[in-house]
Amino acid sequence: MEGFVYVLFIVVLAVNALLSIYGIVYRRSLVKKLISLTILSDTIFVSIILVGFIFKYPVVPPVYIGVSGEETYLLEHGSDPLPQALVLTGIVIGLAVNALIAFGVIQVYRLTGTTDAKRAIRVLVEEVMEE
Amino acid sequence: MSRRTIGLIVLLVGVVSIALTTFIVFNPEAPKSVRELGKYYIANTTRDVSSPEAVTAIVWDYRGLDTIYETVVLYMAIVGGLAISTTTRKVSLKTRTGLTSIARTGTRIIVLLIATIAFAIALHGHLTPGGGFPGGSALAITVMLIVPVYTLQSLLDQGVSSTRLIAVRGLALTALGLVAILPVIKGLEAVTNLKFYPSHVAGMLISGSLWLYNLFEFLAVASGFAAVALYLSIPEEVYREEIKGGE
Repeated sequence: MEGFVYVLFIVVLAVNALLSIYGIVYRRSLVKKLISLTILSDTIFVSIILVGFIFKYPVVPPVYIGVSGEETYLLEHGSDPLPQALVLTGIVIGLAVNALIAFGVIQVYRLTGTTDAKRAIRVLVEEVMEE
Repeated sequence: MSRRTIGLIVLLVGVVSIALTTFIVFNPEAPKSVRELGKYYIANTTRDVSSPEAVTAIVWDYRGLDTIYETVVLYMAIVGGLAISTTTRKVSLKTRTGLTSIARTGTRIIVLLIATIAFAIALHGHLTPGGGFPGGSALAITVMLIVPVYTLQSLLDQGVSSTRLIAVRGLALTALGLVAILPVIKGLEAVTNLKFYPSHVAGMLISGSLWLYNLFEFLAVASGFAAVALYLSIPEEVYREEIKGGE
């Protein structure tokens, strides 16, 4: 049964990643591109977490609480701390980059009056041609 | 049924059937134990870093230099975002009506609770799951809660502005850099932990520099995201106009 859940996880993550890449490439709205980008980054974070996850009951966080015989228990049931640490920093970076992109989208909207990527480029090109 | 609904159902059935076929044909084994590298971190975190929490130990000790550079990236992204939109900001704020007194009182209690928990997450980061990043993000939520209920202008009246928050963020980042560089004075490498900083202060475990890093990262992340939230929030006059126009 754990094997099926594991495979299902991988397939769902792959489909999610493909859908979000489709959104980034084919959607014309910049806001929808940004939403797809966040979905893609979250999918990648979950897949990194999956690398360090173990399919065994119970799974505990890798934290010592000061009980005797804890070390052997944690080595058997604790989840891998390394992917969690990498994802922790990755999430914050992702949030900051998303904020930067959001500022960029707002600025595009202020300058051209639209968030449609193609129309915004057309408006900007027309402005340049008029000058 | 619309085409979209049918597409979603086909997708769901496809995903489950692909997973089922793969499971039946290849019969893969789900991982039952952590890889050797993870085991090393779990086994040695209390000895190397004197922190019972392996994730924080990796973030601020084993991979401390990475995290400090990553904080700089975060800083640059937020400053860059604010720099793009500084020039076009129009300030025309007069009203400060906000929501009803029920919402105000509720928000006051909830904000206090969120702030307390955010501090607890950050300052216990070396003992329990958590740390500077989650704590700071939690504290920044209070700003997002206060803006719609008490209005943006009332926050600005209290002296909470994006510029000041960015200043706090810069100071916190400087302090973080100092914590990282201070061991160099004694001839140790930068981002040295237990050889320079004490593991216990007044009988309490602070895990060397981990506690300091968590505190400053907490301030940096909280003020950075609060500044972004303030900047992206819509002034009350504008959205009241929008609501009226929609009727």
